[in-house]
Amino acid sequence: MDRPVKVKVDHLVKKFDELLVLDDISFSVKQGEFLCIVGPTGCGKTTFLNSLTGLYDITGGSITIDGEPVDLKKHRVAYIFQEYSTMPWLTVEQNVQFALNLKREKAEKAKKQAEKYMELVGLTEFRDYYPDQLSASMLQRVVIARAFATEPELLLMDEPYGQLDTELRYRLENELLNLWRQSGTTVIFITHNIEEAVYLGERILVLSNKPTTIKKEIANRLPMPRDIAAPEFIELRNQVTELIKWW
Amino acid sequence: MKRKKYLWLSIVSVLCVLVLWELVTDVLRLMPSYMLPSPLEVCKAFAYKVSGGVNPDGASLWTHIATSLKIALGGYLAGVVIGVPLGIAMAWYKKVDLFVKPLFDLLRPIPPLAWIPLMILWFGIGYGAKVVIIFISSMIACVVNSYAGIKQTRQVHIWVAKTFAATNLQILFRVALPTARPMILTGLKTSLGSAWMALVAAELLASTSGLGYMIQMARQMGRADIIVVGMIVIGLIGAALSSLLDLLTSRIGGKKTKRRG
Amino acid sequence: MQRIGKTVWKRLKANRQTLLWIVISFATLLIAWQVASMLSQGRVQIPAPLEVFEAFFRSMTVPIGKNTILEHAGISLWRVLLGFVVASVIGMAIGILMGVSPKAHAVINPLFEFVRPIPPIAWIPLSILWFGLGSSNKIFIIFLASFTYVTINSYEGARNVDPKLIGAARMLGASRRRVFTHVIFPSSVPYIFAGLQIALSVSWAAEVAAEIIYSQNGVGWIITMGMNNGNITQIMVGMIAIGVIGYLLSTLMRVVEGRLCRWNRQET
Repeated sequence: MDRPVKVKVDHLVKKFDELLVLDDISFSVKQGEFLCIVGPTGCGKTTFLNSLTGLYDITGGSITIDGEPVDLKKHRVAYIFQEYSTMPWLTVEQNVQFALNLKREKAEKAKKQAEKYMELVGLTEFRDYYPDQLSASMLQRVVIARAFATEPELLLMDEPYGQLDTELRYRLENELLNLWRQSGTTVIFITHNIEEAVYLGERILVLSNKPTTIKKEIANRLPMPRDIAAPEFIELRNQVTELIKWW
Repeated sequence: MKRKKYLWLSIVSVLCVLVLWELVTDVLRLMPSYMLPSPLEVCKAFAYKVSGGVNPDGASLWTHIATSLKIALGGYLAGVVIGVPLGIAMAWYKKVDLFVKPLFDLLRPIPPLAWIPLMILWFGIGYGAKVVIIFISSMIACVVNSYAGIKQTRQVHIWVAKTFAATNLQILFRVALPTARPMILTGLKTSLGSAWMALVAAELLASTSGLGYMIQMARQMGRADIIVVGMIVIGLIGAALSSLLDLLTSRIGGKKTKRRG
Repeated sequence: MQRIGKTVWKRLKANRQTLLWIVISFATLLIAWQVASMLSQGRVQIPAPLEVFEAFFRSMTVPIGKNTILEHAGISLWRVLLGFVVASVIGMAIGILMGVSPKAHAVINPLFEFVRPIPPIAWIPLSILWFGLGSSNKIFIIFLASFTYVTINSYEGARNVDPKLIGAARMLGASRRRVFTHVIFPSSVPYIFAGLQIALSVSWAAEVAAEIIYSQNGVGWIITMGMNNGNITQIMVGMIAIGVIGYLLSTLMRVVEGRLCRWNRQET
């Protein structure tokens, strides 16, 4: 557990006009770690990721990757959004290559990468389909392949499976864990689904609401693959649930 | 496919109108032929004009068509080449929008056809004035549609590209333009229609050849048959241009336009 | 309270930027115009902006031809109104009829499709032969111009009524007539309005074109007269009047639509 720090968030503050959304958030993520962030709906989780990638300007504090301020040109970051974000005018294969083309990879390499990750998420036979011919879970697979094809050092995910039913979600979660283990990338995964957080995360940050602060940090040492029916799992899940209790 | 069931009704309806038209004119003589020519007269005049007859307006149908097409396409191409990039630039660059939009909004309520007299005084009744009018007419639809198309770009698509470190230009070309493409194509089509209409108007008002001139001359000589021939040709060419454009754009779009279904 | 104050202030600041740019772009236009007018000579004459505005306001009291500009505008608007209203009534009736009855659609649509590709303006010579040189030929052109749009949109509106709504109304025992007045017509209204909106602006353009090509009065006549006399100031006065009326008409339609179709607001 002595991996180097990958991402360091230091006294992060974000205001929209006068509205304080993120209030003094500090934590760090280690290289190759799978971090889950849980919190009630509307608690500024998305705002946090958007600040991290520079989509929003931050009001105070700092965010660094490998000790340097975030620079998307230098750091290979991939962000998977809550909304469907495949490009409807591109085929599955073109979608998976999209980021590589943006980064001006050689056509040959882009093709090879796309090939590899389409294979890994089981989309190879759908390569020539357009997004509106695919189901919701396949769309998310395209997005995941697109992200991993860039071999990101940091992968941000904002409730990527929020709109899927339970069974598909488990399947995609397992796929994600596989990809994560193979690639060794660092993942920050945001969700409001406690079970999902406990199933995936090596560490769980529990956020509180309005303004958002860190309520508690919980290490999750349950061995993978985890069994959601195991007593230890349920205990941990209840522990997180106690902390949130927004109902 | 339910519509197919009533195909016979459609045919009967068209035939009825033709028969009625013939009755009113040739048979019952309710309308004098200088006001409403009979279908037969129209066919005769059409055959005469198509076979190269130069009366009563001094040139054959083909000469008129050539003149009209040359002007219309010239003005239209200029309108597209300037209008589409302008609309895109306005939608993508805030500063351009802030500067151009007020002028655009100021001039837009004036129908393009109202510019005709001014342009004729400035550029004479030759090609110049007409090309400018058609240019104005077609440019407006191109700007409006390209602008609206680019504005439809989804925020999340822009964010995806941004987090993958895309430059502003990359986002424009790889995200915004593909989003806008259907709207831009609509703009091309709409503006072709307005270009053709503007041409007819300009030729009616001041010109020495062209289809509009032909029907204007025919009116002055009380030749309703030639007027109707001219109108039919104007309609046919307008429809043909529009289908030609459909064909061209579906080639460019390939199956990608189909997917929107 | 304080927060609201701050947001209002922010809005104002954002609007100030827009306002500033409007001023900048109008100023650029006026300066360019002024410079062009000073440089222009010979055949390409450009009157100075002030001259044109002065002439515009003068023409409200001093007649151009037989009428002041307001009277010309009134004449033009009256024709547009007549043509537009007649076209709207007939267009809605025919459009809805086609939407409700496939048989009517089969009878009317082919005729419609034959006539549609011909621009309304191409009817002007025939219209003059039929109706003479007065107002009626222009009203006919306006009718043709707006009729198409109203008909197509009413047709689309009536055809796209959710069949479930009709079914539900029928099941509740509504008569055919009540289904029409309470379901089909109201749910077509947004479509019809979109059609009316286009139709009105097309009507105005058609009226102007018809007047430019042949007339004895109206705002279009002002600019044709200006052309015939080589009076560019008068042309520009006419164009300003045409633009102002066009703007007022489209604003009017937007306001009316906002009132009538408030339930159907989809996007801003």
